[in-house]
Amino acid sequence: MSADAQTERNRWLLLTPALTILTLAAAGPLLIVVVYSFLTAGDYGGVVWTFSTDAWFSVVAERDFFDETLSFSDAHLAIFWRSVKLSLMTTAVAFLVGFPTAYFIATRPARKRDFWMLLIMIPFWTNLLIRTFAVMEIIRNEGVVNTVLMKLGLIEAPIQMMYTEFAVTLGMFYVFLPLMVLPIYASMERMDFSLVEAAYDLYASRWKVLRRVILPLIKPGAVAGSILVFVPSLGAYVTPRIMGGGKQLMLGNLIELQFGQGRNWPLGAALSITLLAIVMVALIIYVRSSESEGAHHG
Amino acid sequence: MIEITGLSKTFGAGPSAFTALENINVTIKENEFFTLLGPSGCGKTTLLRSIAGFVNPTSGSLTVNGEDMLSKPPYARPVNTVFQNYALFPHMTVAENIGFGLEMLGRPKSEIKSVVADMLDLVQMAPMADRMTSQISGGQQQRVALARALAPKPKVLLLDEPLSALDFKLRKDMQIELKRLQSETGITFVFVTHDQEEALTMSDRIAVMKSGRILQIGGPKDIYDHPAERFVADFIGDTNFVSANLLSEDNGKAQVRLPSGATVEARSPEGGAHSGAVTIAVRPEHAMLSEPGALIDGRLKNIVYFGTDTHYHVESEGQPTFVIRRQNQPDAVEHHSVGDSVGISFNPGIAQVLRD
Repeated sequence: MSADAQTERNRWLLLTPALTILTLAAAGPLLIVVVYSFLTAGDYGGVVWTFSTDAWFSVVAERDFFDETLSFSDAHLAIFWRSVKLSLMTTAVAFLVGFPTAYFIATRPARKRDFWMLLIMIPFWTNLLIRTFAVMEIIRNEGVVNTVLMKLGLIEAPIQMMYTEFAVTLGMFYVFLPLMVLPIYASMERMDFSLVEAAYDLYASRWKVLRRVILPLIKPGAVAGSILVFVPSLGAYVTPRIMGGGKQLMLGNLIELQFGQGRNWPLGAALSITLLAIVMVALIIYVRSSESEGAHHG
Repeated sequence: MIEITGLSKTFGAGPSAFTALENINVTIKENEFFTLLGPSGCGKTTLLRSIAGFVNPTSGSLTVNGEDMLSKPPYARPVNTVFQNYALFPHMTVAENIGFGLEMLGRPKSEIKSVVADMLDLVQMAPMADRMTSQISGGQQQRVALARALAPKPKVLLLDEPLSALDFKLRKDMQIELKRLQSETGITFVFVTHDQEEALTMSDRIAVMKSGRILQIGGPKDIYDHPAERFVADFIGDTNFVSANLLSEDNGKAQVRLPSGATVEARSPEGGAHSGAVTIAVRPEHAMLSEPGALIDGRLKNIVYFGTDTHYHVESEGQPTFVIRRQNQPDAVEHHSVGDSVGISFNPGIAQVLRD
C-alpha cells in the first residue's frame, strides 16, 4: 500500500467516531422525521404506516370540515410570519445592543476584558426557564416596571406587556444576546484599532469611521452573531410559550402542539422540516450575499 | 509653521502618574524636515500623537499656522499621519486607500480620481492600484501609506518610525525617497525615529528627546559636532568623554585644563557650563594620534582594523579608554604598535564642553 493510501485510510479511521455520532444523532432522526411526514396520523398519536401527503397539505392548507374544499391555512401562515418577524426583530435588537456592548468590552484594557465577558456569560450559564421567568418578573402587570411607574403616578393601570409579541421578542433578545456579543467581540478584539485612528486622521467623522471602517471589518462577527441569534429564535419554544402565554404561538410551539394535544405526528414532522427549510433558505441567502461581496473585491 | 509652547502631558494621577511630556517648546518651520529623535519611552511618539490629535496634552498650546489645534478633533486638523504599522484599510484596494481622505473631505469623484492617479505615480505604485493591501509587499505598503497621507495635501505630515519595519536596503532607498517627496510636495514633515543615523541623513533639524524633555534642537551637523549634553553626545555617534577643569568662559568659547596640565580651547554649551569640574566630548574622528607630550598622553592598548578606517584605543591614567578613528588610505603604513607610548591631540575649538 502506498504511503498516500495509508494516510487516506488513517484519516477515515480517525473520522469514524464522529461519522458514527453524526449518523446516529443527526442524519438518522432526520430521516425518521422525513418518513413520518409522509405517513397517516394515528388516532391516539403515533403514526399508521400508510402513505399520505395530507400532512404536507395541512402545513399551508386547510380542508373544510363540511364540504372538503381547500383554502390557505391562515392560522399556520400567521404563525410562520410571526416566527420570522419576531426572529428578525430579535436579531436586529440583539445587534443594536450587542454591537456597542462588544465595542465597549473590546476597548477596555486587556486585563479587564475577561471580567466584562464574564458578566455577559453568567446569564448564559443560568437555566433558560429561570432567565425567562426573570424577564417575566420585570414586565408582568405586578412586575417591577409597572409597580414603579404606578408608584410614580405616571400610569393609572398597569401596562399589559406580558403575552404580547413585545414580550416574546424581549424574552428571546435577553436569552440570545450573548450569542450576538461573543462573535462580534471576537472579531473586534482582532481588529487593529490603529485603523480607527487612521480613519480619524483622514478626516472621517465618528459616524463615517463606524460605517466605513469598523462595520466592514467586524462584518464576519456580526453575520455569525446574527445567524446564531436568528436560527434558535426561529425554533424557540420555551420563551414564546412563557412570554406569549399560548397567545403568541411560534413555529416551535405549533410543532410541539402537533406531537402533543394535536396527536398529528405527520403534521408535526412536516412542520419541523418546513422550519429546517426556512433556516436553510436564510443561510443560503447569507452565503450568496457574502460571496458576491467577496467577488467584488477579488 | 507649528508652534508648540509649554506643552506637557501626564498620564494617570496620584503616585502612579507618569509624565510623558514636560514643558515642550519648539517651533517647526514651514517646509522643514524636522525629526524627533530619542530612545523608546522618551516621549517622541506622544509629542507626535499630540500634534495629530490622538493625545490630549495636560497643558500648553499647539498651533499650526497660528490656528489653535488642541480644541480640534483629529479629523478637523490639517495634519496627516503615516503610522508605524501603516494601518492600511484591509477591506479596500490601494487606490481606495489613497482616495479615502479626499472622499471624507467630500471632494468630487473626478478630483479624487485624478489626485489618486497623481499619488500613485508619485510613489511609483500605479500598476498596483487595484490590488488589495494584503497582496502587496511591506515596502509597497509603506509607499501606499505615504501616498494616502499625502493625498489630501495636509499642511503637516507626521511620520511615526515609518521605516523601522523595512529591511536595511529598502530603508536606505526609502530615506532618499522620503527626502524627494518632501522637497517635491513642499509639505512640512515631522519625523519620529530612534535611529540616529536616519535622523542625521534626512533632517533639516533634529530635536533630541529624553524622559519627556527636549534636550537640544539643531541641524544634524550642529547636533553631531556640538552636543550640549552628555546624553546627546552619547546617543548620537561615538564620543570620548574627558574630565577637565573650566578656566574661563567667554562668548561660546571656553578654556579648559586637561588632567595632563595642558590647556585647550573648547566650545561652551548654550547658556554656559559655569562649574569648574566639567566633561568635554571629542569625536573619535576629530582626534589625532601623535607623539607623547600632546594634550593627553597614554599607552596604545589596541588597534582595530575596520576596512574603511582603523580604531586606536588609548589608555591613560584616570580616564576611560580614548578611541581615535583614522580613515584608511591605500598606501598608508602603520607606524604604531600595541604597547607604544602615544599622545592624543585635537585642534582648538573641536572639543565640546558638556552641560551636565
